[in-house]
Amino acid sequence: MGEYMMRVKELSFSYGKNKILKNISLEIPEGKITTILGANGCGKSTLFSLMTKNLVPGRGSIYLQKKNIGGMSLGDFARRVSIVHQYNTAADDMTVERLIAMGRTPHQKAFGGKSEEDERLVEWALSVTNLVDFRGREVGKLSGGQRQRVWIAMALAQNTKMLFLDEPTTYLDIRYQLEILELVKRLNTEFGITIVMVLHEINQAICFSDRIIGLKDGHVAVEGDPEEVITPDTLEELYGVKLGVALIDGHKYVMTGNLM
Amino acid sequence: MLRKLNQNELADADNKRMQSKRFWMVITYIVTVMLLCTLFLVSVNIGSLKVSFSELFSGLFVAYDSNVATIYDLRFPRIIISMLAGAAVAVSGVLFQAVLKNPLADPGIIGISSGAGLAAVCVTALAPSLYFFTPVVACVGGVIAFLLVYILSWKGGLSPLRIILTGIAVDALFTGLSSVVNSMSGGDRTGVASIVEGNITQKTWADVRTLLPYVFVGMLLALLSVRKCNLLALEDKTARSLGVNVNQTRIGISVIAVILASISTAVVGAISFLGLIVPHIGRLLVGSDHKKLIPFSALAGAVIFLLADTIGRTIARPYEVAAPVVMSVIGGPFFLVLLKRKHKEV
Repeated sequence: MGEYMMRVKELSFSYGKNKILKNISLEIPEGKITTILGANGCGKSTLFSLMTKNLVPGRGSIYLQKKNIGGMSLGDFARRVSIVHQYNTAADDMTVERLIAMGRTPHQKAFGGKSEEDERLVEWALSVTNLVDFRGREVGKLSGGQRQRVWIAMALAQNTKMLFLDEPTTYLDIRYQLEILELVKRLNTEFGITIVMVLHEINQAICFSDRIIGLKDGHVAVEGDPEEVITPDTLEELYGVKLGVALIDGHKYVMTGNLM
Repeated sequence: MLRKLNQNELADADNKRMQSKRFWMVITYIVTVMLLCTLFLVSVNIGSLKVSFSELFSGLFVAYDSNVATIYDLRFPRIIISMLAGAAVAVSGVLFQAVLKNPLADPGIIGISSGAGLAAVCVTALAPSLYFFTPVVACVGGVIAFLLVYILSWKGGLSPLRIILTGIAVDALFTGLSSVVNSMSGGDRTGVASIVEGNITQKTWADVRTLLPYVFVGMLLALLSVRKCNLLALEDKTARSLGVNVNQTRIGISVIAVILASISTAVVGAISFLGLIVPHIGRLLVGSDHKKLIPFSALAGAVIFLLADTIGRTIARPYEVAAPVVMSVIGGPFFLVLLKRKHKEV
């Protein structure tokens, strides 16, 4: 495998006496889509928060291109990594364009105006997410899928090489789920953005990721190419249920409807 | 093809809507400024002395006129103080609402003003020689009240309702203590009583000079934090992912809000509901972007508080109803309406 974008080294984290992550080490390859999977309470949200600097590791460290993120300022981090969180709010009367422009915050001086670069990147984010026609619309008037695209566009305006998404498809119906995942895929293939996301849907994870990291009780239980590592055995280890795996057109499908 | 066309039409409609919004915003600003000017002139002329506009103008700028001089000494300070305090409290309300993410936050309701008031009362009653430092002491009182409310209502997060409830308790405590100090000092020291009762009858140009620099600095800082206020409207995590240190930003903006509320309390007494009503009207008229909301709230706050003072002066002549009292009478029902609407949304 090529270069690593992010490297997690001997990472531990606990809430009080409750150990959430136990000495985890893993790598996020550059230019790939990596998906974190696992049952509720396996520690994937904690890992996500640690990798996005929302929590501080108890032990161990996380490196972004060989630089320890613990020593980076929030602004410095925001110029290199953008994050779309699961739950977002904005004032209802804020327009799409203004909200996306807020993604430029880490690149702007405290009291400066908009630069040409700012405008160019907002335009780019609008067109990539297919929101050009919606630029003047109030966020409160958008559908759930459109709103999620706005949050992704805001992250894109940050112009980073790495993008984190925390369950980007929750609250959306299947049509918008696919629309968002297609968009994520495009960001990766067309613009080479390294992507890390947390997903619940196993089949979508298989279909849209280059690499899977499966957590179980605070350690990495499964890691690798989804087509290789997803088997009835690994699924049982991750989720504690026996699920069948079918091969259709050379791709794996997990039978999530019924127990084996 | 058909879908594309519809899309374009929708985008056009968005554009038109934005344009008309911008148009109405400009109109709103112009009307508010005109209201303020009119109210100023009306207020100058209310009372036993009356002068025409031309007499006023010539008396002020051309030749000495004893009537105009009296009005200048007695009415002008009071009017200017009303406008400054109204603007300060309204902007303080906007900032508190941004920091606490709570549309019901108001420096009066959550006890900041009465904390500042108690501190000011204590200085005036117990250490009158420190009179000069009253504004600073009031700010310290305001900060203490804010910390109390913040810490007491913190429970792994800040629920809007808990802030209000804690605030009301803190407010009641400080208001009560102020009355105690007032009674213990004999209640005849006009300085103490005027803060407790929110009396602005006796104000002079010296009070204007006390208030002005603080309000000026506070307003300037508020205008400089416009972008930060907008970022705080996002989820904390999202603001953080944009490189914003959310806690530091909160503390900074809170300090500005406390200064604005405390300084006006030190001069005119605690004003309730003004910091609540004005931002709400502002959001309806100019939207929730703080770049527009903060300047508008300053203007509208000046208008509404001057209006309250003017009504207070005229409604029961020859007696006067204090402006903060008028504010409470108008503001109380308004607050109840907002509370009811808020519950419907939740």
